[in-house]
Amino acid sequence: MNDHQPLSYRKNYLLIVFFLILISISLVVALYLAHNLTKKYIENEFSSNKIEVLEETIKPYNDFFQKKVPEITFYQGFLDSASASKYADTIFRKYSFVENIIFYDIQISNHSLSHVSLHSLGVELKSALQFKRHMSPDSVRIFKGGIPKNLFAEEAREFNKMAVKFLEYVQSSDTTKAISNDDLLNYFYSITPKRITYMNIPGTDELRSFKDLMFKELPPSIFYEEDMLTYDLDPFRLEISNVHPELYQQISIQPLVYESIDTNPDLISTDIPLPGAFSDYKLYLSSSRKFLSDETTYRFMPIAASLLSIYIVLTLIAYLIYRNLNVNSRMFKLQYDFINNLTHEFKTPVSVIKIAGNNIRSATILTDKQRTHYGKILDEEADKLNGLMNKLLSFTQIENKSIQIKNENIILAEFVQRLINAYQIKYPDFNISFELLDIRFFETDPVLLGSIFDNLIENAYKYSPDDRRDLLIRISSEKKLIIFRFIDKGIGIPDSEISNIFKKFYRIQNQYNQTGSVGIGLAFCKELVNFMGGKISVKSKLDKGSEFRIELPYEPEN
Amino acid sequence: MLRLKYFCLIVWIVVAGCSRQDTVRQISLEDFFTDPVKTSYLISPDGKHISYLQSYKSKLNIFIQSADGKKVSRITNEIDRDVSYYFWANNNELIYLKDKTNSDRVHLWVVSKDGKTSREVLSEDNIRLKFINPTRIWNDELLISLNKRDSTVFDAYRLNIRDNKLVLAVQNPGNITNWYTDQEGKLRMAISSDGTNETLLYRDSESDDFRPVITNNFKTLLAPISFSGDNKETIYALSNQGRDKTALIEFDCKKGREKREIFSSAVADVIDGVHSVRRKTVLYAIYETWKKQRYYLDAEKKAVFADLEKKFPDTELTIVDRDSSLKKFIVRTYTDKTPGAHYLYTLSDHKIVKLSDINPLLKEDEMCEMKPISYKSRDGLEINGYLTIPKGTNGLDLPMVVLPHGGPSSRVSWEFNPEVQFLANRGYAVFQMNFRGSTGYGKEFWTAGFKKWGTDMQNDITDGVKWLIDENIADPERIAIYGSSFGGYSALHGLCFQPKLYACGASYSGLINLFTYMKSTPPYVKPSLEMYYEMVGDPERDADYFRAVSPVFHTDKIQVPVLIAQGGKDPRVNVNGTNQFVKELKKRQVPVSYLLKDEERHTFKNQANRREFYRKLEELLANNIGNN
Repeated sequence: MNDHQPLSYRKNYLLIVFFLILISISLVVALYLAHNLTKKYIENEFSSNKIEVLEETIKPYNDFFQKKVPEITFYQGFLDSASASKYADTIFRKYSFVENIIFYDIQISNHSLSHVSLHSLGVELKSALQFKRHMSPDSVRIFKGGIPKNLFAEEAREFNKMAVKFLEYVQSSDTTKAISNDDLLNYFYSITPKRITYMNIPGTDELRSFKDLMFKELPPSIFYEEDMLTYDLDPFRLEISNVHPELYQQISIQPLVYESIDTNPDLISTDIPLPGAFSDYKLYLSSSRKFLSDETTYRFMPIAASLLSIYIVLTLIAYLIYRNLNVNSRMFKLQYDFINNLTHEFKTPVSVIKIAGNNIRSATILTDKQRTHYGKILDEEADKLNGLMNKLLSFTQIENKSIQIKNENIILAEFVQRLINAYQIKYPDFNISFELLDIRFFETDPVLLGSIFDNLIENAYKYSPDDRRDLLIRISSEKKLIIFRFIDKGIGIPDSEISNIFKKFYRIQNQYNQTGSVGIGLAFCKELVNFMGGKISVKSKLDKGSEFRIELPYEPEN
Repeated sequence: MLRLKYFCLIVWIVVAGCSRQDTVRQISLEDFFTDPVKTSYLISPDGKHISYLQSYKSKLNIFIQSADGKKVSRITNEIDRDVSYYFWANNNELIYLKDKTNSDRVHLWVVSKDGKTSREVLSEDNIRLKFINPTRIWNDELLISLNKRDSTVFDAYRLNIRDNKLVLAVQNPGNITNWYTDQEGKLRMAISSDGTNETLLYRDSESDDFRPVITNNFKTLLAPISFSGDNKETIYALSNQGRDKTALIEFDCKKGREKREIFSSAVADVIDGVHSVRRKTVLYAIYETWKKQRYYLDAEKKAVFADLEKKFPDTELTIVDRDSSLKKFIVRTYTDKTPGAHYLYTLSDHKIVKLSDINPLLKEDEMCEMKPISYKSRDGLEINGYLTIPKGTNGLDLPMVVLPHGGPSSRVSWEFNPEVQFLANRGYAVFQMNFRGSTGYGKEFWTAGFKKWGTDMQNDITDGVKWLIDENIADPERIAIYGSSFGGYSALHGLCFQPKLYACGASYSGLINLFTYMKSTPPYVKPSLEMYYEMVGDPERDADYFRAVSPVFHTDKIQVPVLIAQGGKDPRVNVNGTNQFVKELKKRQVPVSYLLKDEERHTFKNQANRREFYRKLEELLANNIGNN
């Protein structure tokens, strides 16, 4: 019988241990995978986020190219040296990568002395001005009127190229339609490495006049003013904005053909070409492996922390399950013991009754003495059984709070005396006395109060040596309390046991309770007292005696 | 019982709600922007026929009816081009000009009143034609000016409508901008201009040479109306020479000075002196305060108008045409609430017969009153304007549309404006103002607007809006600004530089770039370039100012939703500039709605395009300052 019990619990502990091992393995695997994924992710980001760096770095250039360059057209050819200088100033102030601006003031007419001409339409350079960063407000006039001999070859080439393009456009354009975006880029822009040249786009009416001048024999026309600007750009002055400092340690602008000769195996790099006029250059981005692995660690930390916290929670749950199992197993053991005891308690009277019954049946003649003897035995044992059952029953009732209190006003002296009388008859060697101090009536359920008295008187008798069967019941009142004291001269209770005696099914192991005790009496008393709203406590000295003290609420009479 | 009470309450609320809505019916957009069916009414010299233009196969053609309204017939058969202009040459023939859209060819035709015979009298490529003295023909000869010899100058010609013979009458030395005839059709007066200054030229007879009489700066007006009755050197003219407000005067061309002032007003310019060809005198002067006023110089005319005013109280009246015996008149009426109608008025019996309504779809009692207002600008200048309050409101805390006029050398007048009425019908108050630089309030007020685009002129608009906010008329959170041409410029400028004031804005052919505006001056108006430089600015010398006030340079300041309408062939606004402008706004995530019509010019001609624009405008306003 005892073999099954520990076996069933031991199995559960194994399960918990198994569970703990499993989640620990999972934790390790999860940490490993998470670390690897983070590393992969960082590597991916390293090669893909360069686009964001490029976009951010090239933003001022795009702004310049899409907004500031075509703004020239807004001036409709009315730019002169003063306004061009102001325009150049705003450009220099805002765009650090613009090094140099050359402003060509152009005249278009059908006069024959033009620098570049097609049919009868000619483009003439009126003046050219150069603006440089950090220059005195007076710009350098590099050319004015006449033959452009003092114009540098490069500038002259730029002017000629644009003038030819423009004339081609006038020749081929359809004045009934708006200029298409393709034509715009082909004819009015010239984008070469590190240089953008732009010519303002003439209005439709102007274009029509140009076409007429080109193809018709007309008297000398007025001079139509147009503007052309060349911007020299320095890619190295582009401000690199590292929007991902966590990924890229170093970013630089390098020629398209640049390859690092750094042989450090620890260095990883990637690059992306710049657009437009900077297309001969690229962004070169690099980081050391250590830097990236630091970043990996940095990003991995929160993931690890969350994995660990999940692990801790799981462990905690496992511990709680373990604790629950433990408590349950103890409860199980207690009840098991109780049933064992109870069976034993029931067995004794039942076997006595059986023997008595057998004796009566087998006896041929039953003498009077025998009859009274058996009768007494049967009566006593039946009482014992009845008592046991009553106790169990009321205990269950109290526990379930299913009994009803039937209060009545009792005269304490009478109540106690009656009980004492009963016990004197039962145990003639039991000396019970009582003291009633300043109190006469008490309103309570006499049955419940009787049960408490029964239990305590019974205990006092049971746990007293034969020569010291003495009990004093003292009843007093204290404010709104009524206090019952049961003072015996019994064996007393060891200090270590004091805290246990009110527990259910608990019995101190000694010679006094070998028979007829279930370990329920005091637990029952405590339940009763609690049920009636009171308290029970005990003071005891080993071998000298114990004092049980019961406090119940009491409404003093006025 | 209680339930019944609640039911009654709910019914009452619903009924009350509906009945309130009923007072302001939302009239469909199409009804507002409908081209009139019959336009350009004229009466034949003998008074027996009435002519008008009406659409036939979607092109305008000349129709004729008898004076009693019977016997209607179409006398032209134009299915490619509209008839753009016509008049009676005599009792039996009409002269008309075909629309020259999509070609620079001039087509001048003569048609008999029964429509049986018609012939072309002038047809020439790549020229422009101006009538020197429309509606009058002497000896079958029509006086016109053409830029035939040189595209930049207009010479005067006599065109014989019988044999189509075109004879050069006077060659333009190059600077003459206007030609004038005397009572007998002789070319005896001209105006020449060097761009900034205008010179009046005069001669005693056509055999003499023109002689300069007086030269004025363009800011000073001396506009001949006609020769006076004796047909000698005295002329009637409008002039503000030596005065602020233009007056009607008699001017001596020999002495070169003013003979006498006939009439002037202390508050407004005289805008017209109505001259009678037959009576050879000026009958009355017109000046415009909040409404047009007449000053009579002729008792007979005064009586005619007295009778008409009795028949049409509080109405603007215009005599559109009359027969040669001055017995029958075609009268056009209108008020702020109705575009009015054309009537035939017979002097003998004072009978008035309605010919046709301009727009019969709109009911006068559903339209809103256009109230004259005036306020002080920040520098103390008095600004006049009009406020239209939507019907069915208490006139307080209203969503408002600010509507600056175009030009800017023009003015907003008390008249039926379908745009204003459309906006008012949608529940918006409409605020129009004559900011400085507007005409009609004297020389000083006009010139105060010179080179003040986006500065003082814009302040006048802003101050008016603030005044209306202070008066609790406008809800400061729900103000929109919209205009076309210069008005569109003001709208965009307002959005750029008073971003907190306006919740949204719309520009229709708005002048977004002053450089482009200056560049657009075509070669044949080159003489007036200097004048434009003085009025608007010199694009080279005033480049900083141009840059500072041109919206195209300030797209980064616009924060609120914008509607922009642009014609692809607009000569004054470069479509590339507007495209760039819109692109910038889009890039900055500003909600912008762009209506680009490739075939349209500065003003949308196509009715469908116009309606599309107004639908978009309606949507923009409803979303941003609407009542819901």
